[in-house]
Formats: sequence, structure tokens, C-alpha cells
Amino acid sequence: MREEQLRDILHHMPAGVVTLQGPELRFGFVNEAMRAVLGDGVREGQSIAEPAGLVPADLLEVMQQVYQSDRPFVAKSYCIPQPAADGQPPRLRYFDIALEPVHEGGGPVSGLLLFAVDVTVQEEARQRAHELSIETRRLDTRLRVLTETVPQITFTINAEGKFEYVSPQWYYFTGQPPTTDLNAIWPLLIHPDDRLRVLYQADTARASGIGWNFEYRLRRHDGQYRWLLSRALPEFLAPDKPVFWHGALTEIHDQRELSEALRQGEAELRFLADSIPELIWTATSDGFIDYYNQFTGEYTGLTQEELGPTGWINLLEPSEQAGAARRWVQSIATGEPYESLCRMRRHDGHYRWHIIRARQLTDTRGPRWFGACTDVDDQHRLREVLQTQYDELARTNRDLDTFVYTASHDLKQPLLNLRGLFDELRRTATFHDPEDAKIQGMVDGALTQLDATLQELAATVQDQRGLTAPAEALDLRSVAEEVLLGLRAQVQDIGAAVELDFEAVPTLTYGRANLRSILHNLLSNALKFADAERTPLVRVQSQLTEAGRPVLRVEDNGLGMVLPDNSTAVFQPFTRQHPHIAGAGVGMYLVQRIVTSRGGHLDVASTVGEGTTFTIYWFD
Amino acid sequence: MIHIVYMSRAVRPLSDEDLQALLGQCRDDNARRNVTGVLFYSHGHIAQLIEGEPEILEPLFDKISRDGRHSDVRKLVDKRIATRSFSEWSMAFHPLEPTGFEALEGFLLPHKLTAPPSTLTIADAMLVDLVRLAVFGPETMPAEHVESVHA
Ligand SMILES: Cc1cc2nc3c(=O)[nH]c(=O)nc-3n(C[C@H](O)[C@H](O)[C@H](O)COP(=O)(O)O)c2cc1C
Repeated sequence: MREEQLRDILHHMPAGVVTLQGPELRFGFVNEAMRAVLGDGVREGQSIAEPAGLVPADLLEVMQQVYQSDRPFVAKSYCIPQPAADGQPPRLRYFDIALEPVHEGGGPVSGLLLFAVDVTVQEEARQRAHELSIETRRLDTRLRVLTETVPQITFTINAEGKFEYVSPQWYYFTGQPPTTDLNAIWPLLIHPDDRLRVLYQADTARASGIGWNFEYRLRRHDGQYRWLLSRALPEFLAPDKPVFWHGALTEIHDQRELSEALRQGEAELRFLADSIPELIWTATSDGFIDYYNQFTGEYTGLTQEELGPTGWINLLEPSEQAGAARRWVQSIATGEPYESLCRMRRHDGHYRWHIIRARQLTDTRGPRWFGACTDVDDQHRLREVLQTQYDELARTNRDLDTFVYTASHDLKQPLLNLRGLFDELRRTATFHDPEDAKIQGMVDGALTQLDATLQELAATVQDQRGLTAPAEALDLRSVAEEVLLGLRAQVQDIGAAVELDFEAVPTLTYGRANLRSILHNLLSNALKFADAERTPLVRVQSQLTEAGRPVLRVEDNGLGMVLPDNSTAVFQPFTRQHPHIAGAGVGMYLVQRIVTSRGGHLDVASTVGEGTTFTIYWFD
Repeated sequence: MIHIVYMSRAVRPLSDEDLQALLGQCRDDNARRNVTGVLFYSHGHIAQLIEGEPEILEPLFDKISRDGRHSDVRKLVDKRIATRSFSEWSMAFHPLEPTGFEALEGFLLPHKLTAPPSTLTIADAMLVDLVRLAVFGPETMPAEHVESVHA
């Protein structure tokens, strides 16, 4: 019963058990596990050597030697190829094999006992581990080559902040010997101005278990401090428990110098822009202002936010805004330079003339606009004054021409009379003295010369001034406004109000230069003789007489004057009512001459201390 | 009442369907909340003017600027206005397939856009002209358009 039990146990053991008997090694007991290994061709009493190839030759030989030498033998991970079965590829199986000599009845060796434990799984695992370690070594080598050839310095720091590894580049860079104490030396190589900050930042990052990214200067082997970028990330073995920080140091000195130079350059340019007492600004390619210089703020009293991307338009004189906006959109659309002359509001509400200019710059940073507003107010005003003076001179010149013309004209008749009288005298009187005949000839010559001179004078002036230009239909208002434009300095000076009313007779057919001359003289007289006691008021009005003839009335509230009995005396040349007021005194004479020469007449009414009214009857 | 003008870039080009969906969504939402204005779209460039009460517009702009369909949202103006300048909300873009769109309520072809309303200040009208120029380019700016803006 016990033996049977034992057999049963042996039969089902997961290890192979076989007994081999006699020097021929004949199969005795073969358990199930062993049958599975050796296959079905195993018969009791058959020699293990018989079915050729059942056991590898080397194992067979070892078995025979164990039998002969009576010494047990153990083989680890011995490979027995398994025959291919069911289309499966042949598989290598590994066994730990133990061979024991058997002594039946205590005599010499009578057989062998063979144990075979299947260790295939363990063997495969071992082989995999081996392969892995080879691969790891390969990767390790690759990593080392990489870390030692990249231009960066790579490093590993542990949780205590001590360097575990630093790539050889560090030694090349710093010139330190390989034996140097990294942890002691490193902080000393950091630029003194950066040291505390770097140590603190790295420390803080380690304490919070996060990576870092900062820049500092490290001393190079040649003693020069170079800017480096230090970046590191933590490695976690367990969540929330970083144990290493791996990182790299990249030299960024040149970039940093460059951007420093750029920053510096930009700061300098900005400083320059801010120091110029001119409005300077830049705009995006889309036309939105993104920078105004400091002076813009001072001039306008507004901040960049208040001005906004298009708010500069609001600073312009309202009537100029639309045109400026149109031209700016046009410039943005075409890229053409922008230029305009505008009045720009100062913080105190005063408008000053500016030339606004902007040009587009296209470089690697894309198109941008640069603009400046130059204050030309003083130049502009000076030009206005000069223009007024020029107008005044031109008018005086014209008046003098007119005077010369009319005077020459006026002198013609008396000359004609003189010539008639002289001819009559020569015909009727008798002269005996031969000297008299000579004098006669001289008088004759003088008269002829005078006539020629007068004619020449008239002709010259006439040609130059077009005083005898044909009459044309003239818009009274536009001519009057033109004349007032030339007088605006005087109007502004005394703060006069000028009312124009041409509703009744808007147009007049007259010589243009003549009409201008008349209006100019009447208006400038009215302004000149204003009464400082009251606000000067000049009213210009066109009317029709009862007979339907056009009339122009120029009325002022000025000093007024005492009219002589014969009012035409007012119009004599060089008659001056108010000697303290400057003037050639020919003005009214001219007006009268023009009006009468064109077939009309001039009328005047005046009260001292109240004002004067001139009435022109254009055509009688 | 305030108005806000911004420009942005679409994250990827918007298709006809995308634009139509946006048009539909905005038209209804805006009408309900009394938001008016105009949106320009072309080749990924976006510009929009919206006007309405600040308590509606400020959170709306917040939401729009966080909308994943576009990015790089740059606000150009955000200020008080006396009156509305747009009677409704509309969108102007070039659909690939224009037929069908023309009949859509609130849709405009870019060259059908009129000059900015005269209720806008000249500075604001110029701003609208500039964003329109930035989105559609000079071709869709009719020569007389700029002229008539401030007539
Ligand atoms: C370019 C652009 C413009 C938009 N304009 C509006 C708009 O005017 N009104 C509006 O209600 N939503 C607008 N939206 C959509 C909003 O961002 C948001 O998707 C919408 O209000 C729906 O929000 P809800 O999902 O919270 O309801 C716009 C989105 C984009 C991308």
C-alpha cells in the first residue's frame, strides 16, 4: 500500500523522474512528466540510447560517465529541444537535471536515477533580463555620448541640492579640474550680482518640487562672465516626491547681448522721441496709433488711452477732420506717405498750425508707420501777416496807378484848353522881338511834350492794370468777401463787425478791378475812422432806387466828419479829414473818379460822433 | 450705451457653414439682447463692432474673446456713445457659394457695405474704415466710399 502510494506520487510529480538500469541504461520507471519530455517512444526495458536522437548525445555520454564513475552530476538549465508538434515551431526547453548513481542492495552501481525540473520560464526570464541589460548599456552609452556632445552643460541635482552629475562640458567651460568639489566651487563661479538670486530661486524650486528656468552669469575658464540659461525639471519616484532635478545650461550670452543692445537702442530711441518738442507717434500697419511720445501728452493734455488708436483726429480743427481721416485711410490702403497741414488743439483749447507727416517703414518686423506733427504756427502766422502786407502794398500800388491814370486823364482837358488858347494867342497876337518867337517855340514844344507824357502815363498804367477792362457781371458778395479777406487784419485788430447784405441786388455789371478798388477804399476808410468808444460796425448793402437803378450803401458808426458846403470837396485829392490818421488822401478822390467815369456819382452823409454813410449811384 | 471694436484671427479658416452657423447664433442672441453692430470676415481676419448697454456688452465681449473659434483678440475701442449707429446686427463676408446667402437676413457681401454712419464721430468712422480695410483689403473699398463717409 505504501509503495503504491509512493509510485502514485512519483507518477504525478511536476518534475520528470526516470530510472535507468544496467550499463545499457534501460528504462525502468518513467513518470508522466518525463514521458511528456521524452515523447511516447519510451518502452520499459528499452535502452535510452536506442531510439537515436531521443536524448542529445552529450547528455547520453554524461550519463554513461556517471554510471561508470559512480559520481552524481547536476546540470543547470540544460537545453533539450522539443520536437515540433501540431505545426508549432520547435521550442527550446530548459531543465535542471540531476543524475544519481543507484546501488541496488549496496553493491556496485546498478543504474541511474534522473531528475529533470523544467526551468524554461526562469531561463527565458533570465535571458530577457540579460538582453535588457545589454540594451540598457547601449542606451546608456548613447545618452552619455549625447550629453557629452551637445553644446549644453547637463546636470543632475539631488533633493538636497547636491550635484550628482554634471557633463564634461562644465569642466571645459569653467576650466576646473575633474577633481574639483562641484558643490563647493559652483556657487563661487556665479557672478556675485546673480549668486544670491540663483541660489534662492533654485532652492525655492526644489522646496516646492517644481522645475526652474532662470538666467545668470557664470565665470568661464578665461575669467569672463557669460550669460547662461538654466532650466531643470524634477524627476519623481513617487508622486509629490521629487528626488532628482535634471537640467541643462545653455549659453545665451550673445542673444542676451543682442537683445540688450536692441532694448538699449529702443530705449535710447524712445528717450530721443520723448525729448523732442514735437508730436511723434508710431502706428501699426493697419493704421492704429500704438505709441505717442511724451510731448504729445504735454501738448494735448491727454493720455495714450484717452487718445486711443484713432483719437488724434479729434484734436484737429473740426472742419479739417474729415479730410485728414480720408487721407489717412488712403495712405494706409496704398502705403503712400501721409502729409497734411492742420490746426491741432492744444491742452488749453488753442489751435496751432501743424504739418503732419507719416511714412511707412518696412523691415523684418513688418510694416509700421512713423509720424511727426511739426508746429508751424509761427511760420504760418508770419506768412499771413506778410500776405496781408503784400495785399496792402499791391492795393496801394494799384491805387497809385489808378491815380496816375485818372490824373493824366484829368489833366488832358486843361492841356487841350491850354493848347487851344496858345494857338489862338499865336494867331491873333503879333510878336516883334525875335526872342519872343523863340519862347513861342519853346512853349509849343513844352506843350507837345506834356501831352505825350500824359498819354504815355495813361497808356502804361492802363495796360498794366486793366483799369479799362470791359464790364462783366460780378457777384457783389464774392468780390466784397475777397476784399474783406485782404482787410481781415484790420477787422480783427479793432474787433469790427461787418454786415454784408446783397439780397436786393446780388450782381452788378462793372469792371472788376474798379469794383474792388471802390469797395476796398470805402471799407478801409470805414475801418480806419472807427470810433474807439464803441464796437465798430460796418454795414454794406445793395439797393435799388425808385427808378430801379442799383445803389450801394456803406455805412459805419465811426468818427464822422464835418462836411463842407460843397460836399464834392471831400473827394478832392489830398483832402484829409482826420490828419492824425495815416493815408495818402487819394482814396476817396479815386472812388469818385471811377464812379463818375463809369457814369455814376458818389454821395456822402456824415454826423460827427455818429458815423458816415457813402452811397454809390452806379449809373445815373 | 457703449460700443466696442476689436480685431482677431480665426483659429482655422471658417467655412460657409461655420459662418452661417455663427450668423444664425449671433443674429438671434443679439436681437434678443438689443445688441447691434457689424462683423467683417475674410481669409481668417475678423473685425467686429458691437453696441449696446454696458451690462450686456461687457460680459458678451468677455465671452466672445474666450471663444475658441478665434484668438489674438485685440480690443481697439471700448467707450461710451450717445446713440446707436447700427439699426441691427449684420455680418459681411465672401461666401464660397454666394447663392443662397444673399437672401439671408443679416448677411452682406463686403462690397455692398455702406460708409460708416454719420452718427459715429469722425475718429470712430475712420476706425471702422481702417478695420474694414484691414479685413477686406483696399479692393473692396470703393473710391467714393471714403469720400462719402464724412460728406
Ligand atoms: C468672431 C465671433 C463673433 C461673435 N459675435 C457674437 C455676438 O455678436 N453675439 C453673440 O451673442 N455671440 C457672438 N459670438 C459667439 C459667442 O462667443 C458665444 O459662442 C455665444 O454667445 C454663445 O454662448 P453660450 O454658449 O454661452 O450661449 C461670436 C463668436 C465669434 C467667434
